[in-house]
Amino acid sequence: MGRNLRLENLTKQFGTLTAVDHVNLEIEEGEFICFLGPSGCGKTTVLRMITGFETVTEGKIIFDGKVINRLIPQKREFGIVFQSYALFPNMTVEENIAFGLKVRRMPKEKIGERVNQMLNLIGLRDWRRLYPAQLSGGQQQRVALVRALAPDPQVLLLDEPLSALDAKIRVRLRAEIKRLQQELKKTMIYVTHDQEEALSIADRVVVMEAGQFRQVGRPIEIYQCPNSSFVADFVGTSNFFRGIRAEDQVHTGKRVFKIAQRGPIPEGEVFLAIRPEKIEVFKPGDTAVEMDSTNLASGRIDVVTFLGAAVRLIIRVEGEEVISDVIEKEFAQRQLRQGDEVKLYFPPEAFIVYPAEEVPR
Amino acid sequence: MNQKEDSRRLTLSAPVSSERWLVGSTMSILLAILIFFMLYPVYDICKLSFFREGAFTLKNYGAYFTNPRMFRSLTNSLYVSLITTLITTVLAFFFAYGLTRTTIPGKNLFYTVSTFPLIAPSIIQGLALILLFGRNGLITRHLIHTDWNIYGATGIIVAECLYCFPNALFILYTTLSAVDTRLDEAAQSLGASALKTFYKVTLPSTKYGIASAAALVFNLTITDFGVPVVIGGNYSVLATEIYQQVIGMQRFDLGATISVILLIPSMGAFLLNYYLTKKSYALISGQARPFLQPSRPFKKWLFTLYCWVPTLFILIVFVTVFAGSVVKTWPYDFSLTLKHFDFPSLGGNAPLWTNFWASVLEGEWKSLIAYKYAPIWNSLWVSILVAIGGASLTLLAGYIVEKKRPKGEGILYALSVLPAAIPGTVMGLGYILAFNKPYFLIYGTFWIIIINIIICNFTLGTLSSIANLKQIDRSIEEAAVSLGANPIATFTRVVFPLTKTAFFSNVTFFFMRAMTTISAVIFLVSAKVKLAAIEIIFLDIDGRTASANAMCTIIIILVVAMLFGMRLITGKSGLKGMSATA
Repeated sequence: MGRNLRLENLTKQFGTLTAVDHVNLEIEEGEFICFLGPSGCGKTTVLRMITGFETVTEGKIIFDGKVINRLIPQKREFGIVFQSYALFPNMTVEENIAFGLKVRRMPKEKIGERVNQMLNLIGLRDWRRLYPAQLSGGQQQRVALVRALAPDPQVLLLDEPLSALDAKIRVRLRAEIKRLQQELKKTMIYVTHDQEEALSIADRVVVMEAGQFRQVGRPIEIYQCPNSSFVADFVGTSNFFRGIRAEDQVHTGKRVFKIAQRGPIPEGEVFLAIRPEKIEVFKPGDTAVEMDSTNLASGRIDVVTFLGAAVRLIIRVEGEEVISDVIEKEFAQRQLRQGDEVKLYFPPEAFIVYPAEEVPR
Repeated sequence: MNQKEDSRRLTLSAPVSSERWLVGSTMSILLAILIFFMLYPVYDICKLSFFREGAFTLKNYGAYFTNPRMFRSLTNSLYVSLITTLITTVLAFFFAYGLTRTTIPGKNLFYTVSTFPLIAPSIIQGLALILLFGRNGLITRHLIHTDWNIYGATGIIVAECLYCFPNALFILYTTLSAVDTRLDEAAQSLGASALKTFYKVTLPSTKYGIASAAALVFNLTITDFGVPVVIGGNYSVLATEIYQQVIGMQRFDLGATISVILLIPSMGAFLLNYYLTKKSYALISGQARPFLQPSRPFKKWLFTLYCWVPTLFILIVFVTVFAGSVVKTWPYDFSLTLKHFDFPSLGGNAPLWTNFWASVLEGEWKSLIAYKYAPIWNSLWVSILVAIGGASLTLLAGYIVEKKRPKGEGILYALSVLPAAIPGTVMGLGYILAFNKPYFLIYGTFWIIIINIIICNFTLGTLSSIANLKQIDRSIEEAAVSLGANPIATFTRVVFPLTKTAFFSNVTFFFMRAMTTISAVIFLVSAKVKLAAIEIIFLDIDGRTASANAMCTIIIILVVAMLFGMRLITGKSGLKGMSATA
């Protein structure tokens, strides 16, 4: 077992507000963990407690078998990358990277060597003598990244590192962070409110809401098997229907859906969730044979939004709005247009059933 | 297991408390300095005015309010302060308007000249007005042959207007350049006339700035000592009355009583200014820097003409005092001479400098530079120490208040901004009462003067440090800490370099204040310890007006040299955004 980081009943209270509520997690050495949640869910507070900038109200932070709750930040040897880059504006790129090594009193030759190594890692050798203000946002954040990595921290913590950047650069830098993580095998804890970012980058995602961990799992699990209607709603998009379950059918009042979920299914009042891309949309008359007619519905296309590779349709079905994503090619082939009367098919195996007490937002 | 964990916790908690200890002890030292050197003297004044032989009494106040001659100083003070406030605020407002809202030529010149009064003692306005409009004034006596002269209320008001002008201007300039001019454009596009736009949009959106400038001018005028003492004549105001009672009559009790009376309006104006400044900044929108439309020709001419008026007045003041110091006998004989710079033997003690000059110079130069110029060397020495000490202490205070926020930072903040509310004369008298004791060894030395000047100007130093530290993102410091830097390394390697410009501008500010301040230190100088700015007054009282002008000129030269020196170091003009609030 490596140097794991363990959170035990970790709690943070600001006055009467509980920002983080008895959370538990074991992070293995070399793992890439992502905290995902809406703003104010407590994800940054968890991170700040791990860094030591926030005190712990209750519970323990255990690293490598030792409780580090009261250890001051500079003794934790955790690197941090900030949303605002936080490069020292009075120092050059080189001096920024060397800072953590200088304060550790590393010998000069070694510092030079390490700085070069770091600059190579991000391909910024030519900019070593520039000041942060002379770099673009993306370049600055790359410098901040290797500055945090230079002293070879035990764990690297990244607090919404890409939120201040343009969409394009965000995607590119995201891939670069992932590459660095795999190359260096460094434990990384990454905080973001961007679900796409979280799903694409992490080994495991922790979905947070109201100070609690709602689901911890691999990105694919989180997306395909959200364990609550909150996760189903927050990660990706879902359509929800409320109804009463009887055997393999759910009665919503207006209609009946057949379901085909494996494992235990909640009883009584339930929520049905279905991802937009799972719903089939076609012109009346194109009905395929293998479709179960119980799960067929009729509607009218209200809004058409191009998302690029896919097209998002908002379809009015008996007064309710249903969101459906159709890949662009099918959209063209099936000649779907705004105002068209269409048929919708909800595959039974695509439904996930949740107990009704969990009300989606 | 349990025991093992406990022992570990103990060792791990040690570093946390070591940083807290560092911050806590620094704050305690600052608090102790402020309590001992600011609150304690004021407390002593209050005690002296309210207690006689250990019993509470209002006799002193009874004596003040029933003596018409003394009581007049209060009404006089209020009168000149209110009139000065009104005139200065209006003048400065339109001046600031011209600089920020019109496209007149020569803005830099106007702005630069308008800051001149800050680099000289307030007394310079009085000296210049006397040379021009005094009993023997160039204009009154020799050009228009009138018996009228400017001594008294008129002189005080004109001089104070000039002295307070840059201070009011700074506030109004900031307000006007920050308020969104797109509002004006929107109003005009909706059909409002230029005048209506001004009354309905511009004026309301700057009201807090205007009121805060007015409160500052009121505070500066009512607490000023230098101007009324030279140009007031028999017209007594509170600040001069305190000095009169204490030094002239040895009535410390009455001096203390008048001090308390003076504290009330000055404290009120300070609080008002403080409150309004906060409100004014709340109105400023962050993204209000649109393009300034070219002004119409009429507006341009009008404002250019207008801006020349205060600019010329200020220039005339400086030129007059300089001329008065280099001509043989103003206003009869205008032939040039340097004899007024050969001061009558002023004496005083300038330990290091005197020895230094005495060892390198010979003969006449030796007596001139080493001995007669002693007060100047004193001032320089005091100013350098005040500059370094004041800038460092206020940076530390600002750092603790803004970045460290330990328990009790509110008290430190309150005490740090309070000095501006306490008039210099009151502080000076308080120092005599509190520290004129045999066991208080630094009384009667430079050190008490240095401490006094630092404390009197603590407010602006702290506020500008805080404003500057606010611009440093919290995560920059956290980055340093997470990279392993301890609190001292974080401060010296990251925080200090980032506040260097502000630090040096504070150095300049404290230096200027130390060179030019009069009101507090006039109580603290002695036959042994003399200061250049104070010597101006004594020379003037002795009737050596030309030498007083010469001394004033020397001070200005030294301050200007310092400003240029700082400019070379930091590459920035040290004067921007600086105003004297004490």
